[in-house]
This record gives sequence, C-alpha cells and structure tokens, in this order.
Amino acid sequence: MKSLTKFMDSFGAILLAIIWIAPLLFAFWAATHSTSDAVNLNLFSPWTMDNFRVAWNGAPWLKYFLNTFTLVTVILIGQFILTTLAGFAFAQLQFPGKDYVFILVLMQLFILPEVLIVENYAMVSRLGLFDTILGVGMPYMASAFGIFLMRQAFKGVPIELHEAARIEGCGLLGILWRVYVPLAKPTYLAYALVSVSTHWNNFLWPLIVTNSPDTRPLTVGLSIFGAPENGVDISVISAATLMSVAPLLIAFLIFQRQFVQAFLRAGIK
Amino acid sequence: MTTTPFVVLKDVAKRWNGQLGVEGISLDIPEGSFTALLGPSGCGKSTTLRLLAGLELPDEGKILIDGKDVTTSAASDRNLSMVFQSYALFPHLSVAENVVFGLKVRRVPKAERLEKLHRALEITGLLGYEDRKPGELSGGQRQRVALARAIVAGQRLCLMDEPLSNLDAKLRNSVRKDIKKLQRDLGITVVYVTHDQTEAMSMADTVVLMKDGHIQQIGVPEDLYNKPNNTFVAEFVGAPPMALIGAAALNGFGGGKTIGIRAENIQIVPKGKGRLSCVVNESEFLGSETLIGLEHADTTGLCVLKSGLSMMPEGEEIDITFQDENLHVFDGAGQRMAAT
Repeated sequence: MKSLTKFMDSFGAILLAIIWIAPLLFAFWAATHSTSDAVNLNLFSPWTMDNFRVAWNGAPWLKYFLNTFTLVTVILIGQFILTTLAGFAFAQLQFPGKDYVFILVLMQLFILPEVLIVENYAMVSRLGLFDTILGVGMPYMASAFGIFLMRQAFKGVPIELHEAARIEGCGLLGILWRVYVPLAKPTYLAYALVSVSTHWNNFLWPLIVTNSPDTRPLTVGLSIFGAPENGVDISVISAATLMSVAPLLIAFLIFQRQFVQAFLRAGIK
Repeated sequence: MTTTPFVVLKDVAKRWNGQLGVEGISLDIPEGSFTALLGPSGCGKSTTLRLLAGLELPDEGKILIDGKDVTTSAASDRNLSMVFQSYALFPHLSVAENVVFGLKVRRVPKAERLEKLHRALEITGLLGYEDRKPGELSGGQRQRVALARAIVAGQRLCLMDEPLSNLDAKLRNSVRKDIKKLQRDLGITVVYVTHDQTEAMSMADTVVLMKDGHIQQIGVPEDLYNKPNNTFVAEFVGAPPMALIGAAALNGFGGGKTIGIRAENIQIVPKGKGRLSCVVNESEFLGSETLIGLEHADTTGLCVLKSGLSMMPEGEEIDITFQDENLHVFDGAGQRMAAT
C-alpha cells in the first residue's frame, strides 16, 4: 500500500512534468526541422537551423530584445524604489490614516489590471508617454504586491537593529539603506524574479501602448511576426518563440537552485 | 570628575497610553562613574535607559548630558553608545563592519577608522575575527563585538541594557570583570541596567534600585546592603536577602513595625535561650557554607548561614538569637526608621 502511494506520487509528478514541458519540447522539435517534417513528427528527418535564420531576418529582434530588456529593467528599478519607500513607511513609521492608506493599497490587488487599460491609456497619453518604454512600464511601478511584500520583510527586522543604527547616528533614510534593504535581500531577489518574468511575458498592455518597432517589446513583436497575414509557418514561429523565451529559460536553468531558495526564504509560494 | 554631574535627569516621567512607565526619576551621574539601574522586570529601569538614550521621549522632566539639554534631541545627537541585551549586531555585516558602522555613518576618514577599529578589537580581544559574520561567532564573542562597537567611537557615555543576560554563568563572571576594567581604563561613564543584584552590587559605584516606575533608593552598594531605605530594598538586595520579622513576634518593639535581619547576623543557640524559635524547612549546601531556611508564622525569608557542610533535618525546631545593633527597623508603611 505504502509503495503504491509512493509510486502514484512519482508517477503523477512525472506525468504533470511531461504535460507542462510538452509544448516547449514540440516548439524545440518544430524549430529544428522543416515544416512538413515537424508536423508529421517524422523522427528520422534531418535537423536544420534554417528556421532560426529565417525568423531572425524576418523582424528587428535585436531591437525587440533590447526594448524588453530595457522595459523590465525600468519597471524593476521603479518598483524597487517605490515599494521600498512605501513598504518602509507602512512597516516602521507612524502617520495618521496609515491603516486606511494601507487598505487602499491592498485593494489594488483585487482589481484586474485589464480593467484599467482604458484609464491607464488615457493617463499615459496625458503624460505624453504614449509609445515610450517608460509609458509601458509606468502603470506597474507602484505595485501593491511589492509594497505588501516589502512591508512584511521590513516588519521582520528586529527593532533593536533599528535602534542601534539610530544611536550610531543614522538618519531614517540611512537606516533604511544600511539596515533594512540589505536584510531584505532574499525578498528583493524573489520579487525581482516574479517581476521580470511577468513583464517579460506581458503582452496586452504593451500591444496597446506601443506603436513602433522602436518601443515594441518581444511579445508584441512576436505576435506581429506570427500574425496570419504574414503566413503561418509553424517551424519559423516556433524558432522565433524559442528565441524570445531563451534568455529567461537559460537564466532559470542556471540559477534554479538560488531561485527556489529565494522563494522559500521570502515566504512566497 | 567634574563638580557638575555629567548626566542629569530631573523629574522625568513617561507614560504608555496613560499607564505608568516611570515617574519622578531624578538622578545625578558624575563623569567616569559606573551607575547600575537595578530592579525586578517591569520596574522601569529599561525605560529610564531608553529615555536617556533618546529612543523614547519623556512626557515630563528634563534630561541633561554634559550640561546640554537633550530632552528632545534625537538619539544620534546625544553622543553616546549603547550595548543591547540582544547585542543588536547587524547580521549582514562582518565584525569589522559592525564595529565601524557608526564611524562610517559619521563619515570618519578611512585611515582613522582603521586605526580606531584596530584599537577597539585589541581591547576586546577580537583581533583575527574581523571578517567573520556575527552568525559565526559564539555568544561571548558577539558580546565582545557589541562592546567593541560601543567603545570604538570614544563616546564618553555608554549605556548597557542587561548585556550579560544571554551568557552562561561562568562567562558572565569573567565578562563582568572585563566590563568593569574597561570602564575604569577608558574613564567612560557607564549606565548599566540589570535585574541581577549581584551584578549591580559588584560592578557599580552607585546603585539605583527601582520598583513600579519609582526610584526606591540611590546609593553606594554598601548603603543599599547595610541601610536599606525600605522593606522592598531590604528584600531585593543581598543573597540571601534580608529576612523580615513582624514586630509582634519579638519583645520590646511595639506593634505595626517590621524588623529586618540578615542571615549572617543570626546565631543558632541551644533551646530556651533564643529570642525566636522556629522550624527548619530546608537546607542548601553552598560550598563554603550551608544555608538553613527557617519557618515562623510572623517572618518571611528567614534563614541562617552555617559554615561548612552542616545540613539540618527538616522539621527540627531550633532557637535563634541576634544582636539589636544588627536589626533594621521599618515602620508600618515599610519605610526605614532611625536606628534604635
């Protein structure tokens, strides 16, 4: 009986893993074979790199990569600054109406970002940030999730450390920078992972707010590249998809262990 | 030592949501002295220290350090250092970085920083541990890092909040001596919070005994031991503490008073010749002497010391006697009366 449950456990885990990785494996298969071989799943057909070449020449990928990279970096920096300051205020400072403001921030978590697209669009246009990378990133910077996470992390810092730093002559920002931020490192790492992977894959909002290849991130570029009017070639699209997910995938494979540890330490699951 | 006190507290009070924290705290601390704030937990000794440090602001009263009114100054402007009960070492910084933390914040030039660091580590015997993280040190070593951080900047006033309570008994004894020596050698003023009367009595020049947010007695350790202001001081100071006897049990004192007597002043005498007869209820062998606990309806904490190992059977009835000059007389409210 015991061995049976053990077997079922492993079996279930392996089955789920296969289901989850199947699309990726197929994309890899399709990208490295000609279209007809790929669709027929002809196992002994010759391997080819032509699809990557065709895909690479079909769109300004380098520009898209750069745009996505800039986008996630700008968002992450903005989020770090805003969530650190707001989280610290909610965790350690006393000001009137603190609880109400915190509830307002948390309410942001209940609202689907898609609901706000029209309003955000109008706001970004008013700010003159339409079709800029800053405009794409702006609505995500004051992340309620991030503020909540940082507040929790800062609350876990022993008050004696705060007091010791005060006696040693630190001002409030000095304490934040020298004591709280270094101690919350695992939380920053975990949050950075969530943020980068979310915004690397974000599609709808950048699609709406970008208009030119100069600002378009990978996801939007990929969808235009794969649009029916360009002709559907499953192998070429797979190659392009693999290219756009490659950086994240490789980073995950290399830092897998650190990632999992960061999540465990920050208490997010 | 200067003529005007280095640290002055004038009628300081602090309340928490209307509840009493401390009240009417007035204290003069001369420069270069070692003052212990002593008392049971919740008596307000830590609050007093935190008020002095600037971690809390008083509701009433004034605090002066070195002649300057610092009642509402920020902790960083008071030019003092502090050793916390939990040491409060920054876990992400190495020993060296922990020690020079304050110097770095105050933008002391690097060369001077290194020189002061070296000296502080030398004094505390931590040379060679510069690159360790606090998590890789033993309790005693962490304690020394906290001390090094407190002395590195050369502040003249150092506050210590139960710095020995996380150490084991043996280490506590040696660190106690180290701290005392450090204070003497550097000539700094130390205000030291503890709930351990042995610690306070052995280290301090002046002991301030507190209870329920009020000062009970300020004095040199001998005074607290030999001339307790009231029954609380009598029962708190000394090991074993002073025994209290209701005056009704003795002849010639009149009602309502309380008589205090220390164990070393009590003698056991043959039956019928003593001033009080009581029952043995425990014997505790302490090494050089044996502590015999006695029971009598009108007394609390009555005991007698016998030299060497001399256990007495429980339940045995004995007579004790003592001299009048060794008695402490307290009135009905527990206050000390003039010697009889």
